[in-house]
Amino acid sequence: MTREVFIAHVEREQEALRGFLLALCCGKKDDADDLAQDVLVKAYLSSTGYQDKGKFRSWLFKIAYNTFLNHKAGLRCTESIDEARALVSSTNADAEFEHQELYLALRTLPPKERSSITLFYLNGYSIKEIAAITDTSEDAVKKQLSRGRDKLKERLKL
Amino acid sequence: MMKDKALEELFLAQKPHFSDNADFMVALTKRLDSVEYLKQHQEATIRRYKMLMVAAFVVGVVSGAVSIAYVLSTPADVPLFTFQVQTGFLLWLTENSRLIAATGLSLLMTLGIISIINNIQDILRMRVYLKA
Repeated sequence: MTREVFIAHVEREQEALRGFLLALCCGKKDDADDLAQDVLVKAYLSSTGYQDKGKFRSWLFKIAYNTFLNHKAGLRCTESIDEARALVSSTNADAEFEHQELYLALRTLPPKERSSITLFYLNGYSIKEIAAITDTSEDAVKKQLSRGRDKLKERLKL
Repeated sequence: MMKDKALEELFLAQKPHFSDNADFMVALTKRLDSVEYLKQHQEATIRRYKMLMVAAFVVGVVSGAVSIAYVLSTPADVPLFTFQVQTGFLLWLTENSRLIAATGLSLLMTLGIISIINNIQDILRMRVYLKA
């Protein structure tokens, strides 16, 4: 894939990618954009081996998912909703987002559950596609979705 | 698995729209330029390694062949080198000068080949690193 073709693909898919990473980073736009840049550089470096079969977005999301998991180890993990709320209210960047409650609730999910939930509800992927992106079995994805959904509903009081 | 309606609506309602797409692409283009520069630099380094390796190989083969031909062309009863001082060990060296020279040359050529193989391995490693 040439650089021009890659850029054309990225221009088409960047919003979806950034939206996905924004949800994974729980509304932290700067972190999400930094991660998106890293993902796209990684994708560009491995684009010579990519065969275009109309699944550029899934391929990009797979790289994004793996990059997020790798970065997650270095990020501060906030498990408590109150702690998360305090953190969010102290940053100006997150004040731009209307739906902070959802991000706060997402923050309490483990990374894999958060990824599955985001891919399923935000990006509209099927369980089979999520299993391919996250490199896990369909049963594991179903469990993650079920657990994640229950936790989110409880947190959000839906 | 059925989607939970309330959750789906919540996610769809928060679907972000970015107003800084152009800035994001400018930043990405800059990063890709830097990546391209590094790639070109590393490729140039590999090319230099290759040329050095070929040059070392040619020089090694030519000089080795010339040296061995010289050793073989000298009369068998005339020593390749002699010493002014005549001691037991130096006399032994003089008597076996052809054998010693041939062994030394073989050793040098072996070391040269090992060095070339190491260079090839370095290049292959760099290629794998570049592709990763």
